[in-house]
Amino acid sequence: MANLSIPSIRERLFNTSKHETSTQRNSNSTNPFAASSFKGNVLTADVFESSNKNDNNKINFTGKLKASALVGSISGIGEKFQNMINSVVAFGNRIKDNVVNGWNKLNNIEISFTPAKDKAVSIYNSIKDTLGTSVTDLVSSGVSVKSVAKMEDMTAARQLMSDSVAAWEAAA
Amino acid sequence: MVDKKIIKNVTNIIEGLGQNDNPETISILEDVGTNSKIDAIREMTSRALVKKNMHDSLKVVITNKGKGINDMSTVVAMSTINELLSLDDKSEAMKILEDTVEQHSDEEVRDNARSVKALMALS
Repeated sequence: MANLSIPSIRERLFNTSKHETSTQRNSNSTNPFAASSFKGNVLTADVFESSNKNDNNKINFTGKLKASALVGSISGIGEKFQNMINSVVAFGNRIKDNVVNGWNKLNNIEISFTPAKDKAVSIYNSIKDTLGTSVTDLVSSGVSVKSVAKMEDMTAARQLMSDSVAAWEAAA
Repeated sequence: MVDKKIIKNVTNIIEGLGQNDNPETISILEDVGTNSKIDAIREMTSRALVKKNMHDSLKVVITNKGKGINDMSTVVAMSTINELLSLDDKSEAMKILEDTVEQHSDEEVRDNARSVKALMALS
């Protein structure tokens, strides 16, 4: 296993007499990297770490890098925490609004609530009024397309059409 | 000024009768709607009759003088023609138009039918 400290690497790279042996290069060599290689010197020591090393796959935080990552994560947490607080505040406000609306609704119901007897009488009166009205009056309360499309009594349909057309012509 | 409620009711009734499958609705629309003095009512009635796309309903708006494509009001006539042109199945309308061009006694009705037939052939 090679010593990977910076001074040892520097010493091996530049102190050729100790770690490297000179080799004779053929000037007619076809090696395209000959000119850019270590000027005829061959490295005798393994100064580079193997790319196959399993340790390369592991991420190690050291020194400032670790501290920086830690600080970053702390600030991130702060932001998230702030968002959480904001959402909690929003949730609280929403609950408060709902409670207020619910209270208002309850109040309205209480105010508009009439005893069952009165209610039944008013329903009866409204049914009686509806049954007692003429076709024209019923028309004025609104006719839907669906109800006419499903109508089976053609006499009533004709009457309905005649009355409403007459009402328009009279108003024109 | 006519109340909006009345207009809405008439519109809904005409549309509803147009959608009603009962053949008697054609005579209701013809008797009450196409004879109205209000242009808007005649226009809506003619369109409802065309949308039915039945022999009897199409006959009302094609062969009758003063109704549908032969209406005195240009708006009503044009609206009816437009509705005829919008039909997906024009076969029945074309048949009635052909018969009208060949057999109708009134020249004006024949001319109108010829023009509409030419338009429908082009569309």
